[in-house]
Amino acid sequence: MDILKLLKQQAEQVEVLNLQDEKTTVEYEANQLKTCTVAETKGTAVRVIRKGQLGFAASTGDTVMEKLAANALESASYGDAAPFSFPGSQPAPNVCTFDQTIADMPIARLVEIGKEILDLILPVEPEARCNIALERSIVSASICNDKGLDVSFKNSPLSLSVEINRVEGDDVLILYDQVGTTIWEKDYLEFARRLVEKLIRARTITSIKSGKMPVLFAPSGTLAFGLPLSEGLNGKAVYKGTSPIAAKIGERLFDEKITVMDDGTIDGKFASACYDDEGVPRRRNILVEKGVLKSFIYDLKTAAQSGVESTGNASRGLFNPPSPSLTNFIIEPGETALKDMLAGIDEGILVEDLLGLGQGNIISGAFSNPLALAFKIEKGEIVGRVKDLSIAGNIYELLKNVGAVSKEAHWVYSTFYAPYVLIPEMNVAGRS
Amino acid sequence: MRDRIQEALKRSKADYTEIRIEEKETTRVVFRGKELETANANIDKGGIVRCLIRDKGWGVTTFNNLDDLLTKVDQAYQCAQVGTVPEPIELALVEPVEQITTAEMKRDFRDITLAEKKALAERYNQVLLGHSDKIIDTQSVYSDVFTHLVLANSEGTYIEQEKPSVMVAAFATTRDGDNVQQAYESLADTRGYEYVLDKDELVRKAAQKAVDLLEAKPVKAGQYTVVADQMLAGVFIHEAFGHLSEADFVYENPKAREMMTMGRRFGRDILNVFDDGSIPDQRGTTLYDDEGTPARRNWLIREGDLVGRLHSRQTAAKMGESASGNARAMNYRFAPIVRMTNTAIDNGATSFEDMIKDIELGIYACDAYGGQTQLENFSFSSGYAYMIRNGKIAEMVKDVILSGNLFSTLENIDAIGNDFKWLNTGGGCGKGNQFPLPVGMGSPHIRIQNVVIGGE
Repeated sequence: MDILKLLKQQAEQVEVLNLQDEKTTVEYEANQLKTCTVAETKGTAVRVIRKGQLGFAASTGDTVMEKLAANALESASYGDAAPFSFPGSQPAPNVCTFDQTIADMPIARLVEIGKEILDLILPVEPEARCNIALERSIVSASICNDKGLDVSFKNSPLSLSVEINRVEGDDVLILYDQVGTTIWEKDYLEFARRLVEKLIRARTITSIKSGKMPVLFAPSGTLAFGLPLSEGLNGKAVYKGTSPIAAKIGERLFDEKITVMDDGTIDGKFASACYDDEGVPRRRNILVEKGVLKSFIYDLKTAAQSGVESTGNASRGLFNPPSPSLTNFIIEPGETALKDMLAGIDEGILVEDLLGLGQGNIISGAFSNPLALAFKIEKGEIVGRVKDLSIAGNIYELLKNVGAVSKEAHWVYSTFYAPYVLIPEMNVAGRS
Repeated sequence: MRDRIQEALKRSKADYTEIRIEEKETTRVVFRGKELETANANIDKGGIVRCLIRDKGWGVTTFNNLDDLLTKVDQAYQCAQVGTVPEPIELALVEPVEQITTAEMKRDFRDITLAEKKALAERYNQVLLGHSDKIIDTQSVYSDVFTHLVLANSEGTYIEQEKPSVMVAAFATTRDGDNVQQAYESLADTRGYEYVLDKDELVRKAAQKAVDLLEAKPVKAGQYTVVADQMLAGVFIHEAFGHLSEADFVYENPKAREMMTMGRRFGRDILNVFDDGSIPDQRGTTLYDDEGTPARRNWLIREGDLVGRLHSRQTAAKMGESASGNARAMNYRFAPIVRMTNTAIDNGATSFEDMIKDIELGIYACDAYGGQTQLENFSFSSGYAYMIRNGKIAEMVKDVILSGNLFSTLENIDAIGNDFKWLNTGGGCGKGNQFPLPVGMGSPHIRIQNVVIGGE
């Protein structure tokens, strides 16, 4: 029996999510094509509101629907008060997330792309050991509820990830990057070329005297700002009062060069869709505009708790109820050319990757991390890799004074888009 | 089901075929602040087939529909045809086993109502909320997982295991103006529901730590002598050293192999490190790994020298060593990879008092908030810490983040405590995209010279 109908007889509100996912993965391990995987997932998650209380249950496989329904109702009988209603259908932006070229891509083509990546890296660095994963999925999901909402999605995510290990004596260099898209991109090897450039640059090892100096954060390095900010902007942390910026809408947080957005409507990006995971239209949310805090992100529940509207940021896995989550997170590019930013630095560092991001009390904005990959900048030139350095600070202090933000920007790990950001003076600590 | 599995194995055309079927029932209750956030039960059931064609590669299929194993085996075989390995893949020999084990719990959590589990989480949440008016947010978690696992392969192995696990965790967030602090405690057990009852003291400890941290000053950056408590030492040896002894990092990489040559000096004579999946009732205990290899004790460091590493059947064969029982998968969606089980620094001889008595200025770092290693380099946050002044524990400090190079740090361990304990926390280990895998960690207190502590 249709589980929506079954539950409607016993609860005021019902929502049913069906998910089907077929994922094909080709993996190179240490430069060799070793494993090919086909993974199928099929499952159902339901939420019910009965006597004003919210319940949730999920299962995979062909679990008897009666058992799933019973679990959801039992969950509701102990559930918390639901201050919101499931939405009816609303017009949504037309966002492209499916590409037949990707959906039809044969395994042999994934194998070939892996080979093309190796052909870029190995001639330059024959000692490198590359682990490459090429992953293509076809995802179908549908959400329907008692208000008559009935939306379905089809996605064709393609993800390419590369980890390069290079060991020289006790020096271990590890580089990692990953790109993801749902629309076939002609220049799919751009990220690999960037990695090769980093590999070449990392060959020269040099040193720098620790102390105060300008620090230029590469797009991947700006995750040090992005992670604490993503927690502070989350409607759940705002409602709970744990976000340090909870009461600061309209206040100037950062230098006016900083604008931050969440945009779930960009064609082809991993976190894009017409609707969020509760059936609310996705949209573009300006979070920080020219340094001023404008908005937080919400799902239905946290929005209702806070007395605002959902911003279309509900996100969920099959086994978890929705919660607010950033979609595509964007630090807006600025006005300055990267080469001009470099030219202005007499002695400083370029931070590519930090070790241990996201650990510690990150919601406070504080971070303190060793640098996994950093380069020395001397008289405007990048002169070599520097090791054993660490930086620390609090983003709510550091970003009050930004030297420059670059015109150049790129996607990092599929859903984070960022430029180069220059902090004019920061303490860089060295080992011993 | 057994007949269908064995029939599918028999018909496989691959050199080696393995089928794993898993059924997992999970209950989870979460209070956050004053509200109940989650109270639900989920069922996850699925399977995985792995086929090896020696001179090509591995093919894997994972699925929720268990009706047609024959097709899944054939699909995995087709996938294996894709590989192009230059040398045939061999698997180290493991004696086939037939074994069916059932879990013995004193109080089976599957017989406890959701109402009772909710009441337990609620009570711990009340303990947190009632502890201080500085506490602005809490999280009180109860969860249990009961896994039934079938593993069979084309060499005749057939193992059925039941794996129960029950966990409580308490998080407290305190705030004083812009100063926001967090602390947590957790406890996990494999023996039954009664082991998570009456844990008010543990929960109160989390609340008190979060309150105390509001008053703590940030630590001054620099190099210190650090005494790590059992928890931080256990996480350190797991993260910073344990991952390097996973053979999948070295087996295809001659340079990395050189770095991890057996006999290489890693520490002083007092340092002994092992991994052991056979210790009863620990979090990483797994009597047979996900390739059917029985668990055993694997010494990794003995008297300061590197003496062993952790293997799957494939990495063991490639390196001419024996399978160590460390091929583990998080669930049926993943093929097994080399992982730790219960990893520990073995007990030493120094008392805690002797360890700190000669330290003029140092840090007593407790608990791990998180950690990351990139092979030789590591970074860890301690949950809370105290200064050591003139041989005595002094004021609390916060934001203590230890970083350093693995090789020099292990050499700098100059005292090992006589107070070994296993840590029964609810956390897990991440590798590749398999997270969280339950692992056990243990250690006595340890003292490390010249540790770099970050900060402004």
